Amino acid sequence: MKARPITTVKTVVAGIEAAGTGIKLFTLTDPDRWELPPFKPGAHIDLHLPNGLVRTYSLCNEPADNTRYVIAVKREADGRGGSRALHDDIRVGDVIGVSLPRGGLDPGAGISRHVFIAGGIGVTPFLSMARHLARTGEADFTLHLIVREEVPLSAHLTSLMKEGRVVVHRTSRTGRPDLAPLIGAAGPDTMVACCGPEGMTDDFERATAAWPAANVHVERFVAPPPVIDPDAKPFTLFLARSGAEIQVRAGQTMLAALQEGGVDVATSCCGGICGACKVGWIEGKPVHRDRILLPYERERYLMVCVAGSDAERLVLDL
Amino acid sequence: MLDTISADSAQSAARLGWTGVVRFLHLTPRAFLPMRAAESITLVAGRGIEGDRYMIGSEGGFYSHKPEEGRQVTLFELETLVALKRDAGIALGPEEHRRNVTVEGVPLNHLVGRRFWLGETLLEATRLSIPCRHIEEITGKAIFDPLINRSGLNCKILQGGTVRVGDAVRNAA
Repeated sequence: MKARPITTVKTVVAGIEAAGTGIKLFTLTDPDRWELPPFKPGAHIDLHLPNGLVRTYSLCNEPADNTRYVIAVKREADGRGGSRALHDDIRVGDVIGVSLPRGGLDPGAGISRHVFIAGGIGVTPFLSMARHLARTGEADFTLHLIVREEVPLSAHLTSLMKEGRVVVHRTSRTGRPDLAPLIGAAGPDTMVACCGPEGMTDDFERATAAWPAANVHVERFVAPPPVIDPDAKPFTLFLARSGAEIQVRAGQTMLAALQEGGVDVATSCCGGICGACKVGWIEGKPVHRDRILLPYERERYLMVCVAGSDAERLVLDL
Repeated sequence: MLDTISADSAQSAARLGWTGVVRFLHLTPRAFLPMRAAESITLVAGRGIEGDRYMIGSEGGFYSHKPEEGRQVTLFELETLVALKRDAGIALGPEEHRRNVTVEGVPLNHLVGRRFWLGETLLEATRLSIPCRHIEEITGKAIFDPLINRSGLNCKILQGGTVRVGDAVRNAA
């Protein structure tokens, strides 16, 4: 087997803990307990599961706890398979590749008050933020947790509930709360965020319709389609030597598409300056974005790490 | 014009020279993990740094699928960190550039093809490092462009030993 570039952070499942009905907490660490790549409160990671699925989960622990990634996963029997695989197949000691953490609270945003609205297991991104804010005192916050009856991860929320910083709303007793009064008035130093099922995020968006977009954040259980540059278009690579056809999605690099398709291309800088991924092209309209090929070289070659295509079809000498 | 310039020292009464110092040492066992500062590191001739991802046989680095004899240890200039802050307003720490040894007073770009002493170890510079998008992904800072032509030096270890913070760096010519 040809060696491939390492594209994920190697972690080992160090612990699995029950955390309420149908919920398990998974603790991932480096095999040698080295510090893991840093993250912001409320950040999320992609897990590359052994069965090939890639699924995104929020980190529940806080950034200062830097040798672990802790995720809470609710088993969704009718979900897309990620939570079932984690609950049913993953054991302590298993190796899981994860992405670098993304997203989370920006400490420099000048926010002094946070209002978090969570539906059930949607509490996970806010757990990390709440712990971080409670410990550092960087900003005031209230976490409204809306549940049918049982509080998920209750053992991890007890002290915050006692302090009144987590307010539980049980719909089985009081019905669905009106979100507007919970959110309060808009202000430049107030940030409101919601994570929960679709009906709740819809209510939240209506309640915050008049707010400045920068002060409102919504996380959905099912990720919306990624935002793509409106000028980016998908195209098809035809590989002249192997006869293979590879689709490049809008916004994807040719390099990523080739690697996904199992085509081994040498790479190094991935930014169009080193020349490692130079590939010949035979037919099409390549858009060169490298900073290394001379004009006459561009008539025959392109750099797959940065080049695009101005036509639906591009034939490469691969 | 260029073909009259040679790498040999100029015939002159002036003495050319430099002496530098090791300011920081960093290593990490695997790709993407934070670099950890060390007071001393152990260089093994012909192989790499004990405990580092690019130690030959470790295969834990982002570029380990492309083994390269000349990448046993990597160096970076402290002056580049100062320049990044001054000229581009980017605060980059010595633990973030992902090279192993941060030196001060060493003209790294002049050393390609030359031998020099790093503390008690003898290195041969093989090529300039090239910045990579990977580092922007890890640091979250837009440093690819500002690091072009000053992202450090890749070296082979000719004579191993212990390198400590504060060690002298000297030309071996």
